[in-house]
Amino acid sequence: MGWAGGSGDGGPAAVRRILALGGHDFTSRPPDRAVCELLLRLATERGGGRPRICILPTASGDTSEQIGRFYAAFGERPCEPSDVSLFRLGRRPMALRDHLLAQDLIYVGGGSLVNLLAVWDAHDIASMLSLAWRRGIVLAGQSAGAMCWFEAGITKSSGKAREATGLGMLSGSLCVHYNNEPDRRAAYLEAVADGMPGGYGLDDYAGLLWEGEGSPAAVTARRGARAYRVCRREDREEEVTESPLPARFLPAPAPAALREDIAEFRRIKTMRKRAGWLG
Amino acid sequence: MKTAPRQIVAFGGGGFSMESGNPLLDDYVLGLTGAERPRVCFLPSASGDADHYIVRFYRAFSAHRCEATHISLFRREQGPEDLRRHLLAQDLIYVGGGSVVSLLGVWRAHGIDAILREAWEAGVVLCGLSAGSLCWFAEAVTGFHGAPKRLEGLGLLPFSNCVHYERGGKRRESYHRFLLAGMRGGYAAEDGAALHFTGTELSRVVASRPQARGYRLDVAARRVVEMRIATTFLGDRGAIPAPPVPEALSTPVAA
Repeated sequence: MGWAGGSGDGGPAAVRRILALGGHDFTSRPPDRAVCELLLRLATERGGGRPRICILPTASGDTSEQIGRFYAAFGERPCEPSDVSLFRLGRRPMALRDHLLAQDLIYVGGGSLVNLLAVWDAHDIASMLSLAWRRGIVLAGQSAGAMCWFEAGITKSSGKAREATGLGMLSGSLCVHYNNEPDRRAAYLEAVADGMPGGYGLDDYAGLLWEGEGSPAAVTARRGARAYRVCRREDREEEVTESPLPARFLPAPAPAALREDIAEFRRIKTMRKRAGWLG
Repeated sequence: MKTAPRQIVAFGGGGFSMESGNPLLDDYVLGLTGAERPRVCFLPSASGDADHYIVRFYRAFSAHRCEATHISLFRREQGPEDLRRHLLAQDLIYVGGGSVVSLLGVWRAHGIDAILREAWEAGVVLCGLSAGSLCWFAEAVTGFHGAPKRLEGLGLLPFSNCVHYERGGKRRESYHRFLLAGMRGGYAAEDGAALHFTGTELSRVVASRPQARGYRLDVAARRVVEMRIATTFLGDRGAIPAPPVPEALSTPVAA
């Protein structure tokens, strides 16, 4: 069997990395730009100057909105963005396994966790993602695309918030949109009290980054957005504790338009200096 | 509870999804319900519940002729909460095209497979094109992505099925190969042709295009026998539905 790895193969001993995000979008707002910057940095760390970043929009049913926003966010950045739309393969056939294993970062969009896992199962995507992870390809995602990596999560795929099983690549459970959707958080706390494995709660714009073995590092792209460790108390099992984790703040880079404005301003300044103008 | 017969209309391709301006197949399935203003529910699951597809459905099944709804399994926060109750209350369930592999995966995750069987047994007319045709059969040939593959469907109809069955096409060649490799016999339909089953018997083949045909395929003496089935063109006013008798043998029978 050929080695299908892409740029910057990590080899069998590669560091396994997963970035789980509680909720964000690909807009031009500062916290969204900060998340985008982190994704680009993680991809670049693996793939070098022009990393390959692929979105799996399966959980949304491959909506053009989700795909379009992803391309709008990454299209002008130093990377090669692509999408694998399992519902659109008829119009755009591709070698799924080869394409996924050639990436530096695979990003999973939000939507229905139940449908995401059902469709992946039908197309045998989970085994490809597990192999990608072991080869050091960064796995990332938000909402359903974050919970899928864990043993369990709290989904609203059937309307009401309820427990759902994930792929189990990360142990424990995850609840997204933590303080943004009180019914989801309540369902999570109840499920953990009832015996669901403990784990983490992530507000929108908070994230957890696993790099190799050990505990994850918490990050936040918006002041006040937090990551929580959620566990059952060892002495009194019916009680669940929620402890906020110290998180590193991700500053937002200047937006693309502003970056150009700044460059233009500097050019003018240089010209003025050369011309001997003041100021 | 309905006591109507179990009916499935499997389009090889056609209807509002593929034949804009030709409503013959869609009119035919609406007519089967016997209802004055039939309740029709669209299941666009195979397309990932694509918005543009749902809009096209509502345009084709406008409010003056039927009571149209849809179920989006990717947006369960909208639409009916009780899927079973909603589906069992329909006169017609119309399944759209797309990826049959994804369709079956999502249906099973939401228990739609069992509900559709129940609806069929209760007399709700089931129909669909492409992926929405393949899904009703025990086995199917999918050519949605890459080389055609064999897969298991819901099994309401104990046959195999192949859609978009065009002369010299890859699907046809693959279907023949699968049959020789042990796939059960079954039916194929060209774009514009639809196989109408009552119970598990083929009751007739209808078409929205004069030349479109359905086929019966079996294996005899280790050879594939393909028979073209007499087809009723729905555009002929006052056409008397032809019984689904073999019209011609497309493959020579083994000597």
